[in-house]
Amino acid sequence: MKKVVYVLSVVLMTVALSGVVWAVDPKNTGCGLGSIVWEGHNGLLSQTFAATTNGTFGNQTFGITSGTSNCEQYKTFTYNEKVDTFVADNMDNLARDIARGQGEYLNTLALLMDVPSTQKAAFGSHLQAHFSDIYTSDKVTHSEVVKNILAVTTTL
Amino acid sequence: MKRMRGGYGPRKWSVALLRIFLFLSIFLPGFSLHAEEAPYLSTLLLRANQMELWKDPYWHTLLHYKKGIFGLRSLIDDPRFFLAPSGKSDPKAELEATLRGFFSAEEDETQHPVCRFVARHHWLSEKLEIDPSKLPVPECRRFAEIMDQIKPASITLIFPAAHINSPASMFGHTMLTVDTASKSRLLAYAINYSAVTRETFGPVFAIKGLFGFYPGYFSILPYYAKLQEYSDVDHRDIWEYPLNLNTDEIKRLLMHTSEMDKIYSDYYFFDENCSYDLLFLLDAARPSTHLTDEMGSWVIPVDTIRKVKENGLVTGTIYRPSRASKIKYLASLLSGGDGKTALAVARGEKEPDSILGEDLDSRRKILISDLAGEYLQYQYSKKKIELSGFQERFWKILRVRSSLGGTGEDHQVPPPDPPDTGHLSDRFRLGVGVRDGRLFEEIAFRPAYHDLLDDDRGYVEGAQIVFADIALRYYSSDHRLLLQKLDIIDIISVSPRDAFFDPYSWKITTGLLRRTGNDDDDHLVYEVTPGGGVSYKLSGKSMVYVFGETGLLLGGGLDENYAVGIGASAGLLTSLTLDWKIHLLGRGMFYNLGDRHNAWEVGLHQNFALTTNTSLRLELGFSRTHGYERPEAGLYWNIYF
Repeated sequence: MKKVVYVLSVVLMTVALSGVVWAVDPKNTGCGLGSIVWEGHNGLLSQTFAATTNGTFGNQTFGITSGTSNCEQYKTFTYNEKVDTFVADNMDNLARDIARGQGEYLNTLALLMDVPSTQKAAFGSHLQAHFSDIYTSDKVTHSEVVKNILAVTTTL
Repeated sequence: MKRMRGGYGPRKWSVALLRIFLFLSIFLPGFSLHAEEAPYLSTLLLRANQMELWKDPYWHTLLHYKKGIFGLRSLIDDPRFFLAPSGKSDPKAELEATLRGFFSAEEDETQHPVCRFVARHHWLSEKLEIDPSKLPVPECRRFAEIMDQIKPASITLIFPAAHINSPASMFGHTMLTVDTASKSRLLAYAINYSAVTRETFGPVFAIKGLFGFYPGYFSILPYYAKLQEYSDVDHRDIWEYPLNLNTDEIKRLLMHTSEMDKIYSDYYFFDENCSYDLLFLLDAARPSTHLTDEMGSWVIPVDTIRKVKENGLVTGTIYRPSRASKIKYLASLLSGGDGKTALAVARGEKEPDSILGEDLDSRRKILISDLAGEYLQYQYSKKKIELSGFQERFWKILRVRSSLGGTGEDHQVPPPDPPDTGHLSDRFRLGVGVRDGRLFEEIAFRPAYHDLLDDDRGYVEGAQIVFADIALRYYSSDHRLLLQKLDIIDIISVSPRDAFFDPYSWKITTGLLRRTGNDDDDHLVYEVTPGGGVSYKLSGKSMVYVFGETGLLLGGGLDENYAVGIGASAGLLTSLTLDWKIHLLGRGMFYNLGDRHNAWEVGLHQNFALTTNTSLRLELGFSRTHGYERPEAGLYWNIYF
């Protein structure tokens, strides 16, 4: 009996120890703030290799195809489809850059919106100053963000 | 489109069916790919024959042919990749079938061999001076359109470094990005080769991966999506190595990439892995390189970077810190009190608006809110906060940040030593020493990769990843040559905890070692020891750790030939100078099952790096097993190669 208890406790301890490197299974979230592309798996050994694939050029128009499939798109500005996709896919990092008035995500947005490079800095601080007009609430969706960015930049 | 793990049985059947189909197609008229050969086709076949084009190394690159035990074979396992039934092992038949394929009557242009195998078509057209007007599909318009859309400007080799505490990423990973003319790195296309599986149970995944049970596919995603995965969720630093491929080379790379669309190869963790298959794209880009021939049987991602560098393709090194690295850096810019404020805000113990009321200059307020925002994003990526809580708090923090105005500092994290500049992956070691008064000489070899005392420059501090470390000892006193140890796997992850991060440390060791038995003699024993614990930084360069461990011993010198026990180990790791590292360790194990006994050991190990790839090591140890004591001292010379 003592032996059985001992073996059980050793097994339990081993499981507990290896559980240290186990983690939760990621899931997709929405399309507002906090929508990360949860591609990675944090299970033991599965991380690097557990990838999903979109083929190579098979179904790429721009390549930005992930993330927006479940989200409504802002239709009025069709010429800004790339902006729309980029904003949807990078909600958090873009919001952070806009709050800081600078950064790689903000620069890319400026590029996609054809902001001349001479006006990039002004574009950044303008969006920063209008942060609350763009991100009107914590539940703001990406299409509202795109709409609001376009609205505040008309005054630029 | 998400692919599920492919079942094995069905695939084999489909392969067999396809072979039967192809076999029949040769004999059944009307079913044939080449019912009657066009005269021009005959000319081309003849010309190809005279030139012996199937022997050309570039043909072998495009078809991934490699010499194996059974002669030349392609590493590609997908039958769709071959037009000849024997294509996998017959370069000549495949070349002829490819030429015939160019004359195929296939109506759907995107499915026509000219479009499916753009690189083959391009190369053969050049070599055989094919007149496009004589082909049913003169060129692949779809590929031209894609090139036009992408406007590729350059190629960059990407290396997401090892993840501090994840065994999956222990060797890192490599991908390529196709940088577009737009100059935004985020919008680059990341070309990635990986095993496709939904398997999340680690051990099954590991075993299947070792033996090629998963199909590997190439994929393309926006680079920002890969950055989210590696940088924001997994917290791995990323190194970017821009390559000097010219326009023609880039075009060839993309042509071959498009050929690999939806084509699988069996994925093997150690050789045919993410890093190896990527090299085919570079070989295809620059016909004079043969990177895929230069790799050994054990492909470690960082070694492929070194190879690519040696071949003169790399023009620079760019560091892209992970979110965790940014947090550490931001925290280092702030005093402890400000760091605590940022933490309290991120954890919701303090309202973000309160930052504005603090009696601080605006630079510090900016730093605090930036740190709070990054840390909140970190917590969210670790699932430590729910979505709605994250949204509310993140939004509030950013609102505060935007009201502070100013672009402030750019928070450029100073880059550590790039991974390719660290010591090389293989290690050979020679040593002399004394065990229990008897002199020995030792010779050891380890194919991978880094232990706790090896020079950390270019590596993750506190991460030991050792595979197949084998040591032979010769005791001159009794002229005995012994297998001293065979560390099959010896992984230790010492990840210090601090105010911001609370990782667990862990270890797993399994292999053969020589150990004192209950007869006061040393025996070869098989040991498995998993352990888990915590670690803390004492100062900049020192950390301490404590592990709880369990242990299983099998083999000689034990009653009933086995023992099971529990115990603990602890240690201090410190660096006296950049080159001089010290590891002080102690371990006690209590075996209560099988052979009941105790085992104690203490050690003081020191490593002194002479150059990047040589070091001296002095190991002093004392063990007491079954009550028998063994003092040991050894001096070793390590060569990394």
